[in-house]
Amino acid sequence: MASVTLPQTFEAPATPTTLKLAKREQMMIGAHIIAALIALMFGIFMGPFQTFHRSPTFVQYFPTIPIFTFYYQAVTAHGVMNALFFTTFFIIGFSYFVTERTLQRPIKSTAMGWAAFVAMAVGLGMMLFVLLTMPQQSAVLYTFYPPMIAPALFYIGLVLLALGSWLASANIFLTYRDWKREHPNERVPLAVFALIVNFIVWCVATIGVAIEIVFMLLPASLGILKVTDPQLARTLFWFFGHPLVYFWLLPAYVSWYTMLPRQAGGKLFSEPLARVAFILFVVFSVPVGVHHQFSDPGISASSKGVQTLLTLIVSIPSFMTAFNVGAALENAARNRGAKTLFDWPFKQKWNDPVVAAQLSGMLLFIAGGFSGLINASAQLNATIHNTSWVPAHFHQTLGGAVMLTYIGILYWLLPAIRGRALFSKNMALAQVFTWLIGMTLFGLAMGEAGLQGVPRRALTSQSPYLSPAGAFWLDVTAVSGVILLISSILLYANIIGTLFFSRRPMPEGEVPIETVSGDRTSPLWFERWGIWLGLLGILLLIAYGPVIAEVLDFQLGWNILRYMPTSNAPMP
Amino acid sequence: MEINKLERYWLIAVGITLGAFVAATIVAVTVFGIRLPAPVERIDPQRLDQTIFAKPGVRKIADNRYEAVIVAKSWAFDAGPEAGNPAVLRFPRGSQVTFYVTSKDVMHGFQIEKHTLNLELVPGQVARASATFNRPGTYHIICNHYCGAGHQVMYGVIIVE
Repeated sequence: MASVTLPQTFEAPATPTTLKLAKREQMMIGAHIIAALIALMFGIFMGPFQTFHRSPTFVQYFPTIPIFTFYYQAVTAHGVMNALFFTTFFIIGFSYFVTERTLQRPIKSTAMGWAAFVAMAVGLGMMLFVLLTMPQQSAVLYTFYPPMIAPALFYIGLVLLALGSWLASANIFLTYRDWKREHPNERVPLAVFALIVNFIVWCVATIGVAIEIVFMLLPASLGILKVTDPQLARTLFWFFGHPLVYFWLLPAYVSWYTMLPRQAGGKLFSEPLARVAFILFVVFSVPVGVHHQFSDPGISASSKGVQTLLTLIVSIPSFMTAFNVGAALENAARNRGAKTLFDWPFKQKWNDPVVAAQLSGMLLFIAGGFSGLINASAQLNATIHNTSWVPAHFHQTLGGAVMLTYIGILYWLLPAIRGRALFSKNMALAQVFTWLIGMTLFGLAMGEAGLQGVPRRALTSQSPYLSPAGAFWLDVTAVSGVILLISSILLYANIIGTLFFSRRPMPEGEVPIETVSGDRTSPLWFERWGIWLGLLGILLLIAYGPVIAEVLDFQLGWNILRYMPTSNAPMP
Repeated sequence: MEINKLERYWLIAVGITLGAFVAATIVAVTVFGIRLPAPVERIDPQRLDQTIFAKPGVRKIADNRYEAVIVAKSWAFDAGPEAGNPAVLRFPRGSQVTFYVTSKDVMHGFQIEKHTLNLELVPGQVARASATFNRPGTYHIICNHYCGAGHQVMYGVIIVE
């Protein structure tokens, strides 16, 4: 069986980076990663205990479940810490590292970097304080829809996180601009190209949620505003909420495209098409948020139809990635002696935790991608909307592909920052495979439970309406919870071991950064970001103009501030 | 910039797959008549007594056709005193029921088991959807949107006789 021929235009640079970072840069990247791991610690362990709380059988045999007593506090902490704080800290730390090493220069401003970090860290502290000390009032989940209103600190924490992330984005944009001025006729290496895309998506998307928080939720929480419109708030939230998942996913793609081929022992198939895929993300990842609102009464069916189509289109760059990265992995396997049509997935470095974690993430992403296409199909969504099918989907994507890739990154980045080898490779491998097994089972069981009508985010062990089939699948999720709990403990044991107990030095050549682009053929105007922002603006007008108008006022009366919040956090 | 032949085939296959999804969506609307919720009316959730939601309940409007007006609040579906709490709605087999539902306080959900009826209840918005009940049995109405500490016990029952 002949292997895929690499395009002639591709020249693999494979130059391991030699830039020694100044101590202060190393400190800053380390601070971000440590803060990310602290946030994750408060989020990750909440997950398994939720599956225990939801399972009727588990609750019957273990009526008191430790760690927390209020289920919805755990749901809130799990979402806010994992999805908002862990990801943002990790992505920014990782992006600084990749930008500095790839462009062979420090980030533009160390002072601005620290200012951003301090803002986000104070936000994290406020959020942890409010979640831990006010469990009932702050249980608004990570989607914080009004008219449920949390204490003001909850929103101030989020505002600080966003402010810090904007400063960090500006820092990376400025670093890139300086590099571009010195290299006007060069293509920026793919990793930084993708990071620029990611921070553009982030800056555009956060506009929606910033407006929601600053003009609606925070004033309502402080008592300044007596009125709020839940439909408008939801719409602004999902303007942010879907591109948010690409903000998580694209750093994983950076790893798959620019690091994994070398880690796996192969070459990327086509770098120009990788750039095309990332450009598609700039244009299409924002105007799709309404696909989270197919069941909302305040948005017309035509707007929902338009965004269904756009949502299907935004899957194209991920399909392109599947081919491109898949071909790189096949190339790696051929180099390692794979001969037949189907043996190349098995001839990978499954014994290297960095590679195994990313490959495992891809396996989960196949399921997650297709369950996502089902969610995107407006009518199919009606059978699974707000059921546990939805968390099944995003645990295959975020909890699977993204999380496992971040873990894979962590297994080389943490040693690189600490200057010591990973504490235990075998422990890391055990962690990766228990995560893969646990999350596969979790996705299957939650998906099946959802098809049986089991709602998401509900303490279902107390639900009178639970069907026997639904109860069975919830019990299966508790089994997956045990496996994932073991995996999480292994992860943190390895992190603590690497930080404090590892004595061996970091092996040479372990940092998989390429400093020269192998791309000689893609047009230079790919880096004219104004073009892509202009296209995005047009699409936003088409996709979101009518939605916002509808939501602002159904009869175009523009009486936005019409409804009282009838209940502050409605706890007994 | 050139595109490899194999990759071109792949992109065509992707296009066909996505085209099939689009086609299925269109068929679902035109052939099966599965409609998404769309704007009906805006109301003030604090003044429901001035709207149809002042008297929730089920009304027969024609043979085998019913209207059900339901108010969701933390943590029950109010379908009038006859329906009780939790609300129990009875319909003969073959009934076509149009539901008008709204929320009095926070976000709620309205999902009927084994049907494609699945609504977000946003305070200030009236949600409307129809369902036809052809198979006898008991179907739960489930609040599937987090609404506070009692979310997990918020439900109703539809009995098709």
